[in-house]
Order: sequence, then C-alpha cells, then structure tokens
Amino acid sequence: MVGSPPQIAKLGTSQASIVWGQFRRHRLAMWSLYVLGFLYLGALFADFIAPYGEGQSFRRGVENRSYAPPTTIYWFDPETDRLTRPYVYPVSSVRDTRTLRVSYVEDRTRPTPIRFLVRGPSYVPPPLSLIPVAIRRDLGINDWTTNWHLFGVEFPATIYLWGADQFGRDVFGRILFGARISLTIGIIASLIALVLGLVLGALAGYYGGALDDVIMRMVEVIATIPTLFLLLALRALFPIEVNPTAIFVIMVTILGFISWGAIARVVRGLALSLREEEYVLAAKALGARDARVMLRHLLPGTAAYAIVSFSLLIPGFILTEAGLSFLGLGISEPASSWGLMLAVAQEGGIQTFTQRPWMLLPGLFIFIAVLAYNFVGDGLRDALDPKLRR
Amino acid sequence: MVLTYVVRRFLQMIPTFLGATLLAFLIIQAAPGDFTDRFALDPNIDPEQLQRMRERFALDQPVTVQYANWMWSIVRYGYFGESFSYRAPVNAVIYPLILNSMSLVLVSLVVTYLLTIPIAVYSARRQYSLGDKAITFLSFLGLAIPNFFFILVLITGVLVLQPTLREVAEAGGPIATLLRPITYDLDRGLAFPVGGMRTSGLYDELGPLGQVRDRFWHLVLPVLVVSTASLASLVRVLRAQMLEFMRADFVRTANAKGLPPRAVVYKHALRNALNPLISGIGTLLPSLVGGAGLVEFVVRWPGITPAFVAAVKAQDLYIVMGLLTVSAVLLMLGNFLSDVLLGLIDPRIRYT
Repeated sequence: MVGSPPQIAKLGTSQASIVWGQFRRHRLAMWSLYVLGFLYLGALFADFIAPYGEGQSFRRGVENRSYAPPTTIYWFDPETDRLTRPYVYPVSSVRDTRTLRVSYVEDRTRPTPIRFLVRGPSYVPPPLSLIPVAIRRDLGINDWTTNWHLFGVEFPATIYLWGADQFGRDVFGRILFGARISLTIGIIASLIALVLGLVLGALAGYYGGALDDVIMRMVEVIATIPTLFLLLALRALFPIEVNPTAIFVIMVTILGFISWGAIARVVRGLALSLREEEYVLAAKALGARDARVMLRHLLPGTAAYAIVSFSLLIPGFILTEAGLSFLGLGISEPASSWGLMLAVAQEGGIQTFTQRPWMLLPGLFIFIAVLAYNFVGDGLRDALDPKLRR
Repeated sequence: MVLTYVVRRFLQMIPTFLGATLLAFLIIQAAPGDFTDRFALDPNIDPEQLQRMRERFALDQPVTVQYANWMWSIVRYGYFGESFSYRAPVNAVIYPLILNSMSLVLVSLVVTYLLTIPIAVYSARRQYSLGDKAITFLSFLGLAIPNFFFILVLITGVLVLQPTLREVAEAGGPIATLLRPITYDLDRGLAFPVGGMRTSGLYDELGPLGQVRDRFWHLVLPVLVVSTASLASLVRVLRAQMLEFMRADFVRTANAKGLPPRAVVYKHALRNALNPLISGIGTLLPSLVGGAGLVEFVVRWPGITPAFVAAVKAQDLYIVMGLLTVSAVLLMLGNFLSDVLLGLIDPRIRYT
C-alpha cells in the first residue's frame, strides 16, 4: 500500500499512561496520593518546618515545658482589637500546691510575634540529609549545615503547635521527624520482600523439581510460625539499643525476610503457567539463556501483581513498625517514630487521656498513612486490571 | 479418596512442624548470650553456681542436642521443658495464658461473626446506597487503624464520657433508666475498667452474677477493638461474595420462580457466599491462641503476647518455644481443617 499508513489507535498511549489514566479516575486513590505526597514532603523537610530540633528538650527550671499544651496563637491586637501579625505569649509552669497538678499560665505582658524564616538549631539540609550519617562523615560533609527554619518564636516564648511531650519536646516536630522512619521503613521492607519473593518464586516456578520443593517448604515453615512471634524472636537476635540507622537496617531486613513467602507463592504459580506460553517456548527455542528468559519474559508477566502487592505490603509494614516501636523493640529514644511516640503517650498513664490528648496524635498519622496506602493500592489494583477498564 | 487425601495432608504437616520448631529454636539460641547472663553480674552468685545452672538447663550442650532432647520430651511425655524465670514447668505456666487469650479472642470471634452476616447482606443488597458506601468506608477505616491506637482512643473516650454519663444518670428521665445497668456498676466502681481481666481485690467478694458482670466490663473494650479489624475484612469478603452470587443464574431462577426475596437472599445467595467464611474458620484457630496481640499489652490482659514479649526479652527459651509450638500446631491444624472443610462444603473440589 502506498500513502499514509493507517492510523493505529491513539499514538503515544503506552501501557503506563493507560494505567495512569485509569488510576486518576479513582478519586479516593488520587486524594490519598496527594496526602502521601504531603506527608513525605513533611518528612523530607522536617528540619526546616519544625521550629525545634528532633531531640531538643525544655525541661529544667524556668525552661520547663513538660507536657505544655498546644500554644495559643493570637491574631488580634489586644489594645486596638485589629488584625495583626500572629503572636504568642510565653508560658511558665505553675504547680497547684494541693493537687500537685502542673498547669501553664501565659505571661500577658510579653507578646512575642511569630517570625517566619528564622535562624534556629542547625541541621543538614535535604537532599544531603538522605545520606546516612556514617557515610556523610566519611565524605567529610557532615558540617554542611544550615539553620533556617520556616517559623519560630524568640525564647522565653515557645511555640508548640501540637503541644509538648514529657521532656518539653515539640510533638508537631517529632511527628515530622518520626515520619522519616515510619514512612520509609515500609517502602524499603516491601522492596526487599518483593525482590526476594520475585526471585525465589520465579526460580521455583521456572526450574521446578528439588529447588521448587526447597523454596516452597521454606515458605511453609516461615508461614507456620505466627508473624508477631517470629518478628519478636528475630528482633531478639540483635541488641535492643543501637543507633537508629542500625535499627532501621535490622527492622527492614527482618520485615522483608518474614514477608516474601506470599509473593513467592503467587509468582511461582504465575511462572508455572507462563513458562508454557508460546512466546516463552519461542525464546527458549531461539536459544535464550535461562536468566534472559526469566528476566525478559517471565518477570514482566508478573509486573501487575508485583506492583499491587508492593503497594499493599507497605501499610502492613507501617503498622508492624509502629507496633514494634510501641513495644519498645523498634526505634529507641531520642530518635522518634510514630509507634514510639504512642508508647510514650501510653506510659504517661491515665493523665495522657484526660489531660494531654495531643500525645495521641502520632496514632492519627499512622492511621492516615495506612489508610492512604490502602486506597492507593486499591486504585492501582483496579487500574492494572484490564477487566475493570472504563 | 477423601480419606487418603486427609491422611496424606496430615502426614505432610510433620516435616513442616519439625522445620518450623527447629527454625524457631535456632533463631532463639542464635541470640547472643543466654538466660544466665542476668546473673553473671550478680555478686551473690559465683561462677561455679552459674555453670551448674547452665548444666541444669542443658545450656552448655550443642543446640541440636538441646533441640532433640526438647522435641523428644514433648513427643514422649508431652512435657515442654522448664521455664528459667518462672522456675516451673512450661506447661503449667503457659496453660492459663492460653486460656486467658482464648477467652478474649473467642468472644471477639462470636461478636465478629454475628455482626458480619447482617452487615454484609445489607451492604450487598443495597449496593452503592448511602448505607453501603458508609459501610465500605468504615471497613476501610477499621482496617487502617492500628489496634493499639484504637484501644488508646477508646480508653480516652471512656474516661472523658464517664462524668457525662453520671450527669445524665443523675438528671433522671427515660435515658437514665436505660443507662441504669451501666450506672449501677459505675457507682460500685466496676464499670468502665480500662485494664486487666477482672477487678483485683474486689473480684472475690462479688457474687457469681457480679463476677460475670465484672468479667463482662473488662471484656468490652478489648473485644470491640479485636472485632473491628476482623469485622472490617470479613465484611469486605462476604460483601464481594454476595454480590457475585446475587448475579448468579440460580439466583435469577429463584427470583423468577417467585420466591420471596428474603428466601432468595438467605437460602440461595448467602448460603453459597458463606463458603469462604466457613472454611476460613480453620485459619482463625491460631488467632485464638495468638491472642489479641498488642491490645493485650495495652489493657494489661494476662494473655500470651505480653508473656511472649517478656520471655523473649529474658531469653526464657522454653517458654518462647512452648508458646510458639502450641500456636504453630494450631496454625497447621487450622489450615488443615480449612482444606478439609472446603472440600466437604464445596462438591466442586476434587481430591487427587
């Protein structure tokens, strides 16, 4: 035929853009994606957004801000009653001589304006902060710091958007700092579980025989021990108190190790059926080596499943990390993670619930993050399923 | 044929069981140090005594020998070894723990199943209605909320609401009458406990009815939390199943021949939709023993999870192994039961 070639479909609609188009129709999933993006941005710029450092405490003498409630922000000038730049009052703790309860009173004589873009505690700015401390030290860039903060007030005034914990540390800031750990552990652990599951599952399904038996028995054995118990026993292999980076590595390794089984089982099933497909047989007949057949022909066939299970593993890991830290077996002080902050809240006893409910806020964040990931996973599953295309 | 399948499936469990217990044993023994470490720094205990202690608990022998001895004593005598920290046979230590966890989880399971069916049926019959959307959304929330956070929130709620409850009760009127059973126990300091399994000190003085009430009040919060998570996932499963069967040919036939809608829904659709739930009962068996996990921790329920955490921290080897073994056995039995049950209720499944 001569002339212009017939128009085939719409040009440039790759598989990825079809899936993305489908995903965008899932409103809850899209909203969840925004929420997650927001949380991750908060985690990345935690040092900048938080007015205080991660472990910065106010607990001695006149500085004491233990369990200080959220700071009230005033917008109106007390004399003219006109809108003015936001300001706060410094607080000081007063102990009731009879009930021994500590409360905070504002010093109305010293209004302190909230300033934006102020100097505060110094920190290593992102993206350098993503590099582990040890490596930064080796590179000699550990002192590349800055001390700009989004907002702050001049001492003796303090600003606690969401109250302070028992050491007078800023709960708002610690939630942001905690997000770094709580939100990345899930991703890394899922990656480990996914890679292990894909590789071992593909090997078992493709080769079959003794290798298949060994791998599948291993899956069965791991699945026979209740997850929480296996997790705790494995955690006991390592010392309880080590530096946060080491705990991070330990936790993602353990989580990845105990969770690859379910993926391996499904991937094995997929590999079993895919290896009989004609295009796989053709590749083999053309003399492709096993590694090539597996990488180029088997694994792409499991992509949809892999993406969905990846996104659905993350929320589970976020919950597990929170649970472990809650038990005091995960991230330890002075670093922060959402589960650890809840543990501190619970240790505070009944007063936590009646007098300082802001200590429970980290739980809300676990909840929001898990919910958002569940919706995103759901949206992805629908978007990747050709039967559900709209 | 079914029998051969059952026997073969049963025999397959033995190597898995051995593998799982050996793996657990190796993991625990691979942890640095052992139980006697905590005495090493104690000036009252000399090294010789320490050595005798290690010999007594066979900690000086190779791990494989320890494992073999332990396994043999279970198979031969049903004896799980001796707890280091309790200085008592493991059997006697873990038995009450398992019972306590079971009572909590069993009640939660009954509550879950009683609620799942009506909720899922309603949701499926009125698909995309406001009620269905609310249920779907709530089950998402139920799945996402960490149980240890949920129980903290509930405790806060209870503590905050308690004074309000009293005010309403004192104001009188029909609502106060309705609340009488609660306020009655509230006045005696029984209602709303936020921890433990029974009111310590007071429990023995209560009459039998009072003891039941006391137990009940202690169960309310943990049961609510444990049920929520499983309720959320079961409702989603059953709703999907119901939707599938409501569109099935045999349901259309039943409708077409003029059966009342109730009969169609409950006798035809629901009966088939329940299949995975019935066979799933098997997989719930280990959760009976696994207990309510972190919830037990928060409400200080004397169940398995807190004991397990303590035992792991103290490296109390045989307590850890005892709890692991019991739950592993139940897990395997549960899966086994599920497979067999599924075959019994679903004639399409053939054994080869």
